[in-house]
Amino acid sequence: MSDKTSGDALTFTPVIGIEIHIQLKTKSKIFCSCSADYTHDAPNSHICPVCMGLPGSMPVLNETVVQQGMLAGMALNCGIQPTTYFFRKSYYYPDLPKGHQITQSDLPIAEKGYLMIKDDAGNPKRIRITRLHLEEDVGKLHHSAADGRLEGAATSYVDYNRSGLPLAEIVSEPDISSAREAVEYATALRRRVRYCGASDADLEKGMMRFDANVSVKCSDGRWGRRVEVKNMNSFRALERAIEYEVKRQSKILTEGGEVLQETRHWNDAKETTMASRVKEFYRKFIVEPDLPPLVVSPEWVENTRAALPEMPDEKLRRYVEEWGLSEVDAAILADSRDVAQYFEACVTAGANPARASNWVRTEILRTLNERQNQRQNERQNDKQMGAEELAVKPEALAELLIRVDGGKISTTLAKSVFENMLEGLSLDEALTKSGASEGGVKADVLSDLARATLAANPDVIEEIKAGKDVKGKKLKFLQGLVMRETKGQARPEEVAAVIEAAIKVLLK
Amino acid sequence: MEFHALGVHEIAAGVRAKKFTALDVFNECLDRTIACESKLSALITVTADSGRAQAREVDAGIARGEEMGLLAGVPVILKDNMCTHGIRTTAGSRILGYWSPPYDATVWRLLSSEGAVLLGKANMDEFAMGNTTGTSAFGPTANPWDLSRVPGGSSGGSAASVAAAYTPLALGSDTGGSIRQPASYCGIYGLKPTYGLVSRYGLIAYGSSLDQIGPFTRDLEDMALAMQILAHHDLKDSTSVAKGNIDFSLPMGDKNGNVNLKGKRIALVKDFQDFTLDPPIADAMRRVLRVMEEGGAEISEVSLPTVARYAVACYYAIAASEAHTNLARYDGVRYGLMVNTATSLKDMFEQVRSQGFGSEVKSRIIAGTCLTEPVRSEEYYVAATRVRTLIAAEFGKAFEKVDAILQPVTPSLPEKIGESDEDAMKGYESDLYTLPVNMAGLPGLSFCTGYARDSGPVPGFPSEPTSGLPVGLQLVGPRWSDKNLLDIAFELQKVLGAPQIARGGI
Ligand SMILES: [Zn+2]
Repeated sequence: MSDKTSGDALTFTPVIGIEIHIQLKTKSKIFCSCSADYTHDAPNSHICPVCMGLPGSMPVLNETVVQQGMLAGMALNCGIQPTTYFFRKSYYYPDLPKGHQITQSDLPIAEKGYLMIKDDAGNPKRIRITRLHLEEDVGKLHHSAADGRLEGAATSYVDYNRSGLPLAEIVSEPDISSAREAVEYATALRRRVRYCGASDADLEKGMMRFDANVSVKCSDGRWGRRVEVKNMNSFRALERAIEYEVKRQSKILTEGGEVLQETRHWNDAKETTMASRVKEFYRKFIVEPDLPPLVVSPEWVENTRAALPEMPDEKLRRYVEEWGLSEVDAAILADSRDVAQYFEACVTAGANPARASNWVRTEILRTLNERQNQRQNERQNDKQMGAEELAVKPEALAELLIRVDGGKISTTLAKSVFENMLEGLSLDEALTKSGASEGGVKADVLSDLARATLAANPDVIEEIKAGKDVKGKKLKFLQGLVMRETKGQARPEEVAAVIEAAIKVLLK
Repeated sequence: MEFHALGVHEIAAGVRAKKFTALDVFNECLDRTIACESKLSALITVTADSGRAQAREVDAGIARGEEMGLLAGVPVILKDNMCTHGIRTTAGSRILGYWSPPYDATVWRLLSSEGAVLLGKANMDEFAMGNTTGTSAFGPTANPWDLSRVPGGSSGGSAASVAAAYTPLALGSDTGGSIRQPASYCGIYGLKPTYGLVSRYGLIAYGSSLDQIGPFTRDLEDMALAMQILAHHDLKDSTSVAKGNIDFSLPMGDKNGNVNLKGKRIALVKDFQDFTLDPPIADAMRRVLRVMEEGGAEISEVSLPTVARYAVACYYAIAASEAHTNLARYDGVRYGLMVNTATSLKDMFEQVRSQGFGSEVKSRIIAGTCLTEPVRSEEYYVAATRVRTLIAAEFGKAFEKVDAILQPVTPSLPEKIGESDEDAMKGYESDLYTLPVNMAGLPGLSFCTGYARDSGPVPGFPSEPTSGLPVGLQLVGPRWSDKNLLDIAFELQKVLGAPQIARGGI
């Protein structure tokens, strides 16, 4: 270690900017009519002259891509540019069929946005978003080399199914100061682009990828050069890569060394970054002569803005302020749009917000999880199960919850009714199947049940008589027995009252 | 019967009326082609078998009483940079030596859906870069009027084919004069349409913002018919413009020789007057002007100083910049020339491209690469695109006052084969009359005014009487005035006569 530091421990402040690629949600690719959904299909089964860049082929811009790009930009609080261009970014690589990528690059459709996150101390922090621009994806290489890299591979195969998928690249300002903040930013960004329907941002399917620009500022005034870390495709990788890089750069500066400006690749298996061995090709831009300028009319922008749903942060605030939910509960409900919509429809249909919140967070989310796992195990469909797919519509759930609140049925019975409704029964059918009869259990029936229960459990009665039921546990036990007998149709307070009355009689 | 001497409309009408069959026409044109090819080398690929099959299909359709379209049984030739499904398409390059596209260019789809029959794919300068058809990897094409001379470029093969009457119609592409100049050298009509009027989908690109496909014919009625079919909005080409259905049919009534150009405002370019022209071309300018004046046209001058000073330099900057990105896709990964001796990825790219491209293409790729380097791009590529806007504006202003500009196509008659190989700059200077038209996206029509008398006998081919070289001139109009240019040329033709098949001429 250098002795120039005169004993004071050096501290390092990371300065991080993130580039995120998300795949925009469209039926077809950005410049041709090939299907954008190829997940289960054979390599090179979704290709045409255009996305293969065959000689003579010409790109035609898919308008839905523009629409989704604007939506995502608006969801990230960006301004929309009325006139932009596409450029050709030239470099050579086997997965790039035309030898150039068509991209909006420095003339993006959306720019100057921001996202709010919490910094490491828990205070609100604004991360500025420089721009969101549209571009095409490239193909995918499969190498026969052991480490999966191109260099040294005996054979490499190229799959162009991904070539031409619509991407938005979202570039942040270097406002991020830790790996944790980076993940929070990326998570918040994903939530918002999913919310507005611009992207599914499914990490496992490669619909969201990260590059990070990382440098560290030393407390003695030295500043390491910027290192671009590429190739992260999970939140965990993003976090680990930044942590690793901050540590690596801090160590270099601590030892008096110099951080080189370079591109490094994240190796997920080894959890290290490595200097890129492939020399970056010199990138050049010209205006894409095969595409006219992209002009979005004010009407188009306005219509898109009208299609932008309420964003999760705003929903969360509303749930807390208007419906009195806790911030933690509200965050769970607002996390995905379909669940939030389900919850809100439930409340709108008359359910008590607190009870609806409770049920959606437990029963609905649990069911969605189970169904999702089942789907994955059976490999039927790897599409995320949405709350709107459940057989129990929010209005029906609301009606059930209103009955619970009205004391007409117990929570226990309601859960059984809910399970039956999940199988496709209507509320009435489910009530009948669960053995519930309208109006609960008559008082005299209840008294008979209570007396019979007490008679069947003389030992418990003895203990109560002996004054051993200090915490009321025995009483609760007896209540439970009666509830079970009534198949949950009785109101717990009523059962308690009947049992107490019966015990009083016995005690006399 | 000499079918090859007939026009497009005559063949189509005859086939439809069952006067003769499409197969007879095709076979006779094929015989003529084969007889001439050893001397001309106008084609890279002769599509005898597929052409015969198409001709038989047309005949079968007619026998069934089906409507066979405007080009029923008309043999046509496409420049070899237009994609034809299953038929080798090389763009004149070794790098695409045996590539068969899996799809058709829109222009071929349009022609074939009207019953046209493909006879062959024409020779061309490699990737349309050149003025002579001499940069083709398949060897040069000869001028059918004088086998020792070039047919012009880059669509020289298409122009020579029509001049030698292989077919009455061929398509070329014009990036900086590549239709108009060979049409002029070969003595036929060649139209570079307004940019956006004819779809480029399936045209192997050189300079995408400059390239435009257009027809070669020996007859204006044929050209009007071809444009009627080709001027078609194409959703596969984003630069294609929907102009509705333009009626290209010519006023065929007055064929008595009375030239009527009343109300046509024709201009000469003042800034071009200082440039020297070969005497036959200067003579032709004077003669055509007189015909125009006598026909009632108003003659005036327009000034295009920016065009005269900067167009050529800016053109080459833009064309090369676009070309190097268009040609980046030829890397030996997916199609075309491949190597199996490469030791690394970079080595593979380098080997494929150094073996696959000829020197003219390489020099333009290198120029384009340099001009668009981040440090230089603002000074060259971006500056050129700005000047381009000024050029378009200058033309726009000129065309507020006039309907068309009359100017040479080239300052000189066709050179000897191999002559300009050492002097690249000579080719560049001669482009002044053609390049600016592409820069501004304007239509330009090259037409034959007659034949020079001092060019000596034509050796060897054809065996008919000797003749001088053809002398062409050019009409340039504002955007979308393509039809008006045909109308003016149609009036001139009454005095100048129609282009002759290259067999001696006037
Ligand atoms: Zn495609």
